[in-house]
Amino acid sequence: MDIRLSIVKLAHKILASQGRGGSFPGQLALMMDKDFIRRFTMPEQVILVTGTNGKTTTSNLIAESLRKAGLTVLNNHRGDNLNVGIAALLATGSDSSYHIQADAAVIEVDELTVYRQFDALKPTGLVVTNFFRDQLDRAGEMETIIRKIMEVTENFTGDLYLNGDDPNVLRIADNAKKARIHLFSMAKLKDSMITTDEASEGKFCPRCGKPLHYDYFQYSHIGRFLCPYDGFGSITPEILVKDVSYTNQSFEAEGRVFHSYINAVYAIYNCAAVLCVMKNLGLDLSCADDVFRHYQLKEGRNETFALSQPCVINLFKNPTGANEVMKDILSRPGRKNLCIVLNDNDQDGHDVSWIWDAHFERLNDPEVNEILCTGQRAYDMALRLKYEGLKDRIKVIESTEEAVHYLNTANLNSYVMATYTALHSTRALLRKEAGK
Amino acid sequence: MKLKILWMYHDLMDLYGDKGNIQVLKTRCFERGIECEVKTVSLGESVDCREYDLFFMGGGADLEQTIIYEDLYARKNNIMEAMDSGTNFLLICGGYQLFGQYYLDQDHKKIDGLGIYDYYTESTDRDHRCIGNIAVEVTVGQETFKAVGFENHGGQTKNVRTPFAKVLKGHGNEFKSHYEGFMNQQVIGTYMHGPLLPKNPKLADLLIRRSLHKRYGDVVLQELDDTLEDKAREVMLKRLGV
Repeated sequence: MDIRLSIVKLAHKILASQGRGGSFPGQLALMMDKDFIRRFTMPEQVILVTGTNGKTTTSNLIAESLRKAGLTVLNNHRGDNLNVGIAALLATGSDSSYHIQADAAVIEVDELTVYRQFDALKPTGLVVTNFFRDQLDRAGEMETIIRKIMEVTENFTGDLYLNGDDPNVLRIADNAKKARIHLFSMAKLKDSMITTDEASEGKFCPRCGKPLHYDYFQYSHIGRFLCPYDGFGSITPEILVKDVSYTNQSFEAEGRVFHSYINAVYAIYNCAAVLCVMKNLGLDLSCADDVFRHYQLKEGRNETFALSQPCVINLFKNPTGANEVMKDILSRPGRKNLCIVLNDNDQDGHDVSWIWDAHFERLNDPEVNEILCTGQRAYDMALRLKYEGLKDRIKVIESTEEAVHYLNTANLNSYVMATYTALHSTRALLRKEAGK
Repeated sequence: MKLKILWMYHDLMDLYGDKGNIQVLKTRCFERGIECEVKTVSLGESVDCREYDLFFMGGGADLEQTIIYEDLYARKNNIMEAMDSGTNFLLICGGYQLFGQYYLDQDHKKIDGLGIYDYYTESTDRDHRCIGNIAVEVTVGQETFKAVGFENHGGQTKNVRTPFAKVLKGHGNEFKSHYEGFMNQQVIGTYMHGPLLPKNPKLADLLIRRSLHKRYGDVVLQELDDTLEDKAREVMLKRLGV
């Protein structure tokens, strides 16, 4: 019995009883004991999930699939993936002597936090979804993140579940000689692209530095690549997805058909990661399919609000995410208004230059009526659009509340894209506006 | 009238939205009825830099900088000839560093610069970088104006005799230094991303004028509506308390 753990558990209990979560218990824990995270006796399976995009969804899907298969699982399902969030998760999931009370822990870990906490969390498995440019001011450079993850996995003897179609992720396998490598991949689809204007990363072979050759791209720089000089990229995937059907929202793998929780190629990659884990643990893949079929996306991910006409909100936080959200918006029929909420707080990244790496020129579509720009960097967003020839459709409304009201009165289908720290406040405004 | 821009290593030296600078130059020419040609050149592709009015090179991570270095070095004579012929240069971050004496990267690997200017750059370790919004004051001829951007560099550039701007808020060439970048009659080298030009239209127009000067002499540019540009800059200046 450790008094510090009791205090943290009590703090969490009091806050939870008042309907409050928050980071305070975790902060308290790390303040009292900087080795707090290290003290826990972890369950038999500890699966960490990291990468740039899809961490929260993938870790939730894994946790739910394990539960479906009969395991008890500890999971930071809301995506509290920094030190304090993880400390709080462990405190709430343990008994009074630091023993985690579950068969498995599935923990989403921020890609900058993962190398700091890797040893402390005693993982048996690590899932890496992808690496894109994201919040680079916080990260320094993506290269730094990858190198640090390569360092901590160099002597790792557990399971590495890696996206075999992302050269930046596959690099980790090259360096982790003692780990068991499990790759997931996707075969060429009807709409795979031969060339792309989206790929900013993954141009060079990490072994020899020469240009990689791509047979096809699925999205961004994710696709089938090969180094003609040293064979980097020649893989034998354990999970190979093929025959994706957007009509049936399904895909084929392991000789059977699975449902996808949404109709998008990046989502199917997340499903593939889940199947890779399930297969290796010898669990029934039907459990995963059942989860995919019924999974409710997190709040603010493709969530619809009943304004005068339906309004769909999505998170956007990096060029790849923005491109994928725009593809989805433009694929929906009819005239529409857009609203972009751009903030630059810590969790959004202070540097908003990434909006210039995203393909906003695609909004030059006759069905796009007006584009409202709001949030702390509303004018930066407006400028970005102005320089794509969208000047006549831009409307800057500094107050997000007024922007949301404008969407409601305009009586058109609308789509909101909000950065991380703007997401929940904008949802609250939409809920209020929908209730009027 | 036609502005000819050479965009070097567009596919490699393109961090932090630097491509936005090209977008701005193109648009600001187009709106004035000035034709604008942008030629992209990467590894192993041949080009005569003298044929262009503006040579643009953005920033890259250490890895990219190592990859392009030999290719760039092979072009050194041609680059010097282009300078003699009156070509203008806009060099951001890595591009700026590589025109100096040398660049010592985070792993203490030394890359020789083109050695055209006296300044040199030494990196700090991975965990210490000059990162954040930056506001500077630029003086060109009789005119002084404020500019904003975002800096994110480990490299500390020293021995700059003629800086680009005075730092009002942020770091500049080194941690807490008073000056940012390098500038002479033909060259602007800077750590300012953001990208640099969208929120600083005076700078964009200065570059257009200086570049057009090569073939057309003094050019007077028609005024454009910069309400959004000015507003975006003012929001940042206000936030930085400048």
